[in-house]
Amino acid sequence: MAQAQEQNTNSPILTVSDLNLHYGEAQALKGINLDMARHQVTAFIGPSGCGKSTLLRCFNRMNDLVESARIGGSIRFNGEEVNNPATDVIALRRSIGMVFQQSNPFPKSIYENIVYGLRIAGVNDKATLDEAVERSLQSAAIWNEVKDRLNDSALGLSGGQAQRICIARAIAVNPEIILMDEPCSALDPISTLKIEELIEELKSKYTIVIVTHNMQQAARVSDVTAFFYLGELIEVGGTRKIFTNPEKKQTEDYITGRFG
Amino acid sequence: MAKKFIDKSRRNDRLAELLIRIGGIMVIISVVWILVMISRVALPLFYPPSAKMTATVQLPAALPAGKILAIGAEEGQQGAFVLDESGSFHFFKASDGSVAASIKTPAVPSGAARVVSAEYTGKSAYNLLWDNGAISSVAVAFASVKDAEGKVTLAQDVSSQDDLSFPPSGGVLQSSARRIEGKGAVRIDRLAGDHLRVTHQLVEKDLLENEKRTNTSTEIADPLPGRLTALTVDSKGHYLYAGTDNGWLLRWDVSEPGQVRLLDTVQASEERRAVTSLALVLGDMSVAVGDAKGTLSTWFPVTLAGTGEDKRLTRIHRLRPNHGTVSVIIPSPRDKTLFSGDGTEIHVDHMTSERNLLTIKPGAAMVQTALSPKGNTLTVLDSNRTMTVWKMDIPHPEISFGTLFTKVWYEGYDRPEYSWQSSAANDDFEPKMSLVPLVFGTIKATLCAMLFAVPLALLAALYTSQFMSPKLKGRVKPVVEIMAAIPSVVIGFLAGLWLAPLIDKSILTVFLTVVIVPVMLLVTIFFWKRIRTASPLQRITRGHEFVAMIPVVLIGIYCAYLLNGVAETTLFAGDFKQWLYSSLGVRYDQRNSIIIAIALGFAVIPIIFTIAEDAISNVPRNLTAASLALGASRWQTAWRVVLPSALPGVFSAVMIGFGRAIGETMIVLMATGNTPIMSWSLFNGLRSLSANIAVEIPEAPLDGSLYRVLFLSAVLLFVFTFIINTVAEALRQRFRKKYGRY
Repeated sequence: MAQAQEQNTNSPILTVSDLNLHYGEAQALKGINLDMARHQVTAFIGPSGCGKSTLLRCFNRMNDLVESARIGGSIRFNGEEVNNPATDVIALRRSIGMVFQQSNPFPKSIYENIVYGLRIAGVNDKATLDEAVERSLQSAAIWNEVKDRLNDSALGLSGGQAQRICIARAIAVNPEIILMDEPCSALDPISTLKIEELIEELKSKYTIVIVTHNMQQAARVSDVTAFFYLGELIEVGGTRKIFTNPEKKQTEDYITGRFG
Repeated sequence: MAKKFIDKSRRNDRLAELLIRIGGIMVIISVVWILVMISRVALPLFYPPSAKMTATVQLPAALPAGKILAIGAEEGQQGAFVLDESGSFHFFKASDGSVAASIKTPAVPSGAARVVSAEYTGKSAYNLLWDNGAISSVAVAFASVKDAEGKVTLAQDVSSQDDLSFPPSGGVLQSSARRIEGKGAVRIDRLAGDHLRVTHQLVEKDLLENEKRTNTSTEIADPLPGRLTALTVDSKGHYLYAGTDNGWLLRWDVSEPGQVRLLDTVQASEERRAVTSLALVLGDMSVAVGDAKGTLSTWFPVTLAGTGEDKRLTRIHRLRPNHGTVSVIIPSPRDKTLFSGDGTEIHVDHMTSERNLLTIKPGAAMVQTALSPKGNTLTVLDSNRTMTVWKMDIPHPEISFGTLFTKVWYEGYDRPEYSWQSSAANDDFEPKMSLVPLVFGTIKATLCAMLFAVPLALLAALYTSQFMSPKLKGRVKPVVEIMAAIPSVVIGFLAGLWLAPLIDKSILTVFLTVVIVPVMLLVTIFFWKRIRTASPLQRITRGHEFVAMIPVVLIGIYCAYLLNGVAETTLFAGDFKQWLYSSLGVRYDQRNSIIIAIALGFAVIPIIFTIAEDAISNVPRNLTAASLALGASRWQTAWRVVLPSALPGVFSAVMIGFGRAIGETMIVLMATGNTPIMSWSLFNGLRSLSANIAVEIPEAPLDGSLYRVLFLSAVLLFVFTFIINTVAEALRQRFRKKYGRY
C-alpha cells in the first residue's frame, strides 16, 4: 500500500464525481465533483444541513447504516469505486478512518480502545499491540498524559483527551485518510488548540478531511477549503484564496458572516 | 409574580419529594412486615420445649403400705391413681390427696391372690401378672360427670380389657402378653433360669359361637450369650427383643405359633455393659436400648451392603446419655419421643432428630413413672411416696436444624437421606421434612430454565436491537412482551398436559432438534451467503434474515421428528426409555426437567428479552459508528462493543429473569410431577420450594409442624431472592463502573 501511495503521489487520493444522495425524497447532495490530494488537509465548511457531513460519511460508506439513503454517482478511492456493492467495506473503512463530533471512546481501558481496530482484524500479538499503542498515542500527542494509566477506563478522560484517544484509535490501524466530523465542536478552546496542532502534525502522514463550523479553524488548519450550500458544492480552492478572495458571492457572504 | 412562581415550584418540589419518600418507606415497611409475619409463624419451630409441675401429692396414708405396681394421672391433672399388689386401683384427687375411690380389678383369675407385676400396654391398659402365673388385662378410664347442680366431678372406672385369659403356669418371673387381632393372643414368659417360653392361644369360633381355645407353647432353645436383663415384645406380638448382662441384644420372630426364629444377635454396647432397659418406639420398628452406664440408643433392622436381602438390627441413633443405669424407657404414644429415666432424672429425647428435649428432675429417687395416653402428662412416684405430675409442652419435637437441612436416618431407610414426605396413610408415620430436596428442586428448575432461556433471550435481544429492521422490530417486540402476559397457569397447563405427553412420545426429537436445527441453519447461511453476494437481494433481506430462518427451523424440527424412529431403532435398540433404564439406570419421568426448562424458560424469555433489548438499544449509536468506522463487522461491533457496553443492563435482565424463575409456582407445580427427589438427571422431575408450599399448605393442620415448616420454606425463599437481588445489584453497580452507563 505504501508503495502504491508513493507511486501515485500526484494523483488525487479521492475523486468524487457527480455524486447525488437522497434521504428518501429529499436530496442531500447534488452533483458533487471534488478531488482530494494526498497529505493535505481539506476543510468542508458551510451552514448546517448543507450536506458536508453527509459527503464525509459517503467516503467510508457510513451512510450504509441509514436505511433510506440512496447514492448515485461515483467516489473513487485510489482509483477504486467506493460505491460498488462488491467493495470490501471493512477494508475500505480500515483505510479511511473517522473521528466523530462527540468523542466516543469505548467503555474499555485506554489500551483496549487503541488496539480495538487491530484486535478485530485478528491481531493479538502482545508486542505488536504494545508497539501500536505507543506509536498511536505518540502520534496523537497524548502519550505523556496517559502512559501511566493505560489500563484505566477511557471513560474517565476529559473531553479533549477522549477526542485525542479517538484520533489515536483511528491512527492505530494505519489508515490513509482520516475523516474528522466537527472534531472540536464539543471541546473547550485549549483542547481545540491541541487538536488543531495535532492535525498539523498528522498531515505529513495522512490525508485529512475535516468538517467544521468554525471558519477560523478551517482557515488555521486546512490547505484546501470546500464550501457547501444546500447540498451543492459552491466553491473549492486553496484555503487562503477562499478566505481572501472567493470567486462566488455566496462564499463571500458566508465567510463574512452575512448568513449561516 | 416571580417570587410567587418560585415559591410554588419549591412547594411542589417538597410535595413530590414527600410523596416519593412516603412511597419508598411504605414499600420497605410492607416487605419487612411480610418477612416478619411469615417468620412469626415459622419461629415457634425452634422454641424450646417446656415442662410445668402441675401437682405434687403425698400418697394418701390410707393406702396399704405394700409395693406400688403402677401409677397414672388423668389428662386434666385432676386425678391420679396407683395400683397395689392386691390388684386394687386407688384413685385420689391431685389437689389434696384425698382418696376418691378404690376399685378392685374385675375378673380376678381363679386361684390368684397377688399381682406380681403390671405391664403397661398403652391407652391406659395394663396386663396384670398374678402370682399363679395367670394374666388379666384391665383398663382405667376417667370421665367428667356433671351432677344436677352443674358441678363437675371426676368419675373413674376399671374394666376388663382384651381377653387374655391365659391359663396359669407356675414359676413365671416376668411376662408379656399381646392380643393378636382376629386370632387370639400370645404371651411370652420368662421362667427361672433364663428360660423363655412363647405361648400362642388360638381362638376359633364354630357356627354356634362356641369358642375353642388351643394353646401352643414353645420354649426358646437358642443358647443365650449372657444372663437376661431386659425383655420386650412389640405391640402386635410379632417380635421379641431381649438384652443380656454382657451387652447383647437379641431379636426373635415369634409371629408363627409353634415356631420361634432367632433373627439377630448383636452387641449393643461397646464395653459389654448390661442392657438394662428395652422399649419399642411408636411404630414398632425401632427398639430403644438403655444400658447400665446410661447410654441410650435406638436400633432397627437395615439391609447392609453385602448381606443380601437380610435385614440386620443396626444402631441408628444415639441419644443423649443418662447419668446412671437406664432403668426405664417409656415411648411416647404420639410420636418418636422417648422418656428415659435413670432413677434420679428423666430425659425426654426425640429419636429421629436426636434432640434432647427436656430433663425433668423429681425430688427423690423414682419408683414408678407413667406417661398419659396423649403423651403430654408425666407422672412420677418417688421413694418418699410423693407423686408429682408434670404437664409438658413439646410442640415440634421432630424439627431441628439437623432434620431440616442435613441427612437423617429415618426408620425403614437403609442409610441417612435427605427426604421430604410430609404425610402418609398410617397414623404412626413419621413426617420427613428435609428442605434440602426442595431447595435442590428450586435450584434445578431455575438452572434448567435459565440454560434454556438466557441464550435464546439474549441472542434474540441482540439480533432484534442490532440487526433487525426497525420496522420489524416495532412489531416483534410488542409480540414478545405479550408473551410475558400469558398467565403462568396457562403455560403450566400446556406444558403438563400437551407438551409433556408430546415429548414423552418422541423424546429423541428434542435431542435431535438441538443438533439438526443449528446444523441446518449453518448450511443455509453458507448457501445464502453465496447467493446473496452482489445481488439486489441484499437490500431487501437486510434486517429480515430471520424470516428466512423460520422455515429452516421448522423443517429442522420436522426432520428431527422423522428421524426419531430411525434413531431409536438403530442407536437405542428400539426403545430409548428402556435403553436409558437398562444402560444408564436412569428412570424416565413424563414430567421431567426438559419440560420445566421449556415451560419455565418460556415464561422467563420475554422478561429477559425485553429488558436486555432495551439495554442494548440504549447503547449510543456513536459507539456503534466508531466501531464500524474502524472496520469492524456488524457482528464484531455487536459482540465486542455493544454487548459489553450494555452488560449492566443485560445482567439485570438475566437476574430479574432468575428471580422470576426461582419464585415461579404454577408452572413448576403443573409441569414437574412434584417429586422431591435429588437427581441432576434431565429425565427426572423435581419439587420446588414454592410449588411445595402451594401443594401442601391446604392440607397442613394449622400451627402444626408441617404448617410451620412450610412457612419456614417461605422465609427461605424470601431470603434466597433477597440475597440474589442484593448480589445482582452489587454486581450491576460494579459492571456499571467498569463498562459504562448504559
